[in-house]
Amino acid sequence: MICAKGLHKRYKKTVAVDDLSFEVRPGVVTGFLGPNGSGKSTTMRLMLGLDHGEGETRFDGEEFASIRRPMNRVGTLLEAKPFHPTRSARNHLKMLASANGIDDARVDKVMELVGLGPVKRKKPKGYSLGMAQRLGLAQALLGDPDTLLLDEPTNGLDPHGIHWMRDLLKRLASEGRTIFVSSHLLSEMQLMADELVVIGRGTMIFNGDVDQFVREFTRSTVIVRSPAAGTFISALEAEGATVAKGDDGELVVSEMEIGAVGHLAFTEGVELAELSSRSASLEEAFMSATGAAEQFVAEKPIQTAHASRGAQNA
Amino acid sequence: MNVGVNGGASFVIPFLAVFMAVIGIFATGHEYRHGTIQPTLTALPQRSRLILAKILTVTALTAVATLASMAINASVMLAFWGEVPGLFDDPVRSALLGYLVYNVIYAQVGLGLGLLFRGVPSALVVIFLMPLIIETLIVGLTMVPALEWLAPIVKFLPFTAGSELMLTSAADFGPAAPGFDFFGRWASGGVFAVCAALVIVTAWTLFKKRDA
Repeated sequence: MICAKGLHKRYKKTVAVDDLSFEVRPGVVTGFLGPNGSGKSTTMRLMLGLDHGEGETRFDGEEFASIRRPMNRVGTLLEAKPFHPTRSARNHLKMLASANGIDDARVDKVMELVGLGPVKRKKPKGYSLGMAQRLGLAQALLGDPDTLLLDEPTNGLDPHGIHWMRDLLKRLASEGRTIFVSSHLLSEMQLMADELVVIGRGTMIFNGDVDQFVREFTRSTVIVRSPAAGTFISALEAEGATVAKGDDGELVVSEMEIGAVGHLAFTEGVELAELSSRSASLEEAFMSATGAAEQFVAEKPIQTAHASRGAQNA
Repeated sequence: MNVGVNGGASFVIPFLAVFMAVIGIFATGHEYRHGTIQPTLTALPQRSRLILAKILTVTALTAVATLASMAINASVMLAFWGEVPGLFDDPVRSALLGYLVYNVIYAQVGLGLGLLFRGVPSALVVIFLMPLIIETLIVGLTMVPALEWLAPIVKFLPFTAGSELMLTSAADFGPAAPGFDFFGRWASGGVFAVCAALVIVTAWTLFKKRDA
C-alpha cells in the first residue's frame, strides 16, 4: 500500500507537481498516466525522497528514506538508466545488493529472470535500450519487494518484451504486491492496469478504475448508415439525439442508446445498412482528459507556400 | 631518509596524496558523472549514512595505501643499505606519521570537492589549482617587498600549512622569503584539517538539501 499525501514540487517559478494525493492498493496494477512533462517522473522522485518538496509518501506506513534496507521493501526503476562504465551488470547489482543484505545467488537469479543470464558479466554500456530496461527491472526485483515503483518500464522494449513485462507485472500484482507503473502508452495501460492515476501539468485529473475513466471522459456513440439518412436525421433530432455526419456519409449519433436508435428506425420505417455502437478507447479518454493540460503542444502542420502556389496554378 | 620512505613527499605535493585525492574525488564525483547517485540513493536512502560510509572507506583505503607504500620503500632501502636508520626516532617518525595524516586529509578534501561540485572535472581543477598555482603564487608574492604584508597569511594557507606535517626540518622557501612563522607540525596540520572539514561540512549540508 502506497499512500501519497500533498505532494508538491516547485522549480523557481514553475510548479511541477501541484498538491497530489493518491493511494496505490496492493493486488492490482496501478497505472500512472500523463502527457510528456506532466510531472510523472518528478512525482516518483518526490515519493522516493530523491527530490525534495512538500508532502509525504508512506510505503506500508513508512517513508522511503527511513527504511533501513529499502530494496527488500520497495523496488524502483526510474527513467534514467545510470550505470558505471567500468562495472559489469552483475557487479552493478552486487553493489546495490550488498547495501541491502541480499546475497549473490539472488543477483544471478534475477538476472536469469529478466533474461540477462548470458550477458551478466558484460558491461551495461554495451546493452541495447531494451536490455538496459531489463537490467533496471532486475534491480527493482533484487530484494523481492512487496512494492514496485516503475517509471516507463516498457520504454525501448520490443513487442515480445512488452508482452513479457505485462505478464510479469500482472503476475506480481496477483501475488498481492503493490505495483505503480507510469507510462504514456495508453494501449499498454488498457491491457495492464486495473486502476489509474492520471495527471496533467502536475495536477490530478483522475484517480479511479480504468473503466470509470473511459466512461467519465468519453461519450459512446452510435453509428448509423442508411440510404434514407437525410430523413432519419430529422427524426433522430426530434427525439433529442445529437447527430453529426461522418467522413463516409455515416451518421454519428450521440446522446441516444443504440436500442432506441434501432427502435426509432423501425417505427419510422427507415431502412438501415449499419447500426453499431462505438465505444471510445482509453486513448480518446486520455486525449479528452489531458487535452487542456498538455505541456508541449506541437504546431499544427501548415501548408507551405510552395504547395499553396502549386494549388493555385492547378 | 624521510624522503626515501615517503617516496619524495617533500616535493610540492606527494604523488600518493594526489592519487588518493583523485580516488576521493571519484568516490563522490563519479556518482554524478555517471548518474549512479540515483540507484545509490534508492539502495541507501539515508544520505548522511552514505557520506559517512564514503568518508570511512576513503580514509581506510588511504591509510592502507600510505602504510603499504612506506613499508615497500623501507624494505627496498633495507635491501640496498642493510639498515634503515632513525626510522622509529623523531623527527623521521613524526614526519612519516604526518605524511599519513596529510594523505588522509588531502583525500578527504578531494571527496568533499567532488560532492560539492557534483562532478569530477571542477573538483580536479580546484585540488590542483589551489596548492600548485594559488598558494605558490601567494608565497611567491610575499617575496616582493611591497607585498610583504602577505607573509602572515601564509601559515593559514591550507595546503602549504599541511606540508608542514611531513617535514623533518624547517621548510626552505629560498633566500628572499620572509619568515612565515608556521604553527608547528601538528597545529599546521590542524589548519589543513579545518579546511578539509569546512569543505566536507559545506558539501554534506548541500547534499542533504539538494535534489539528487
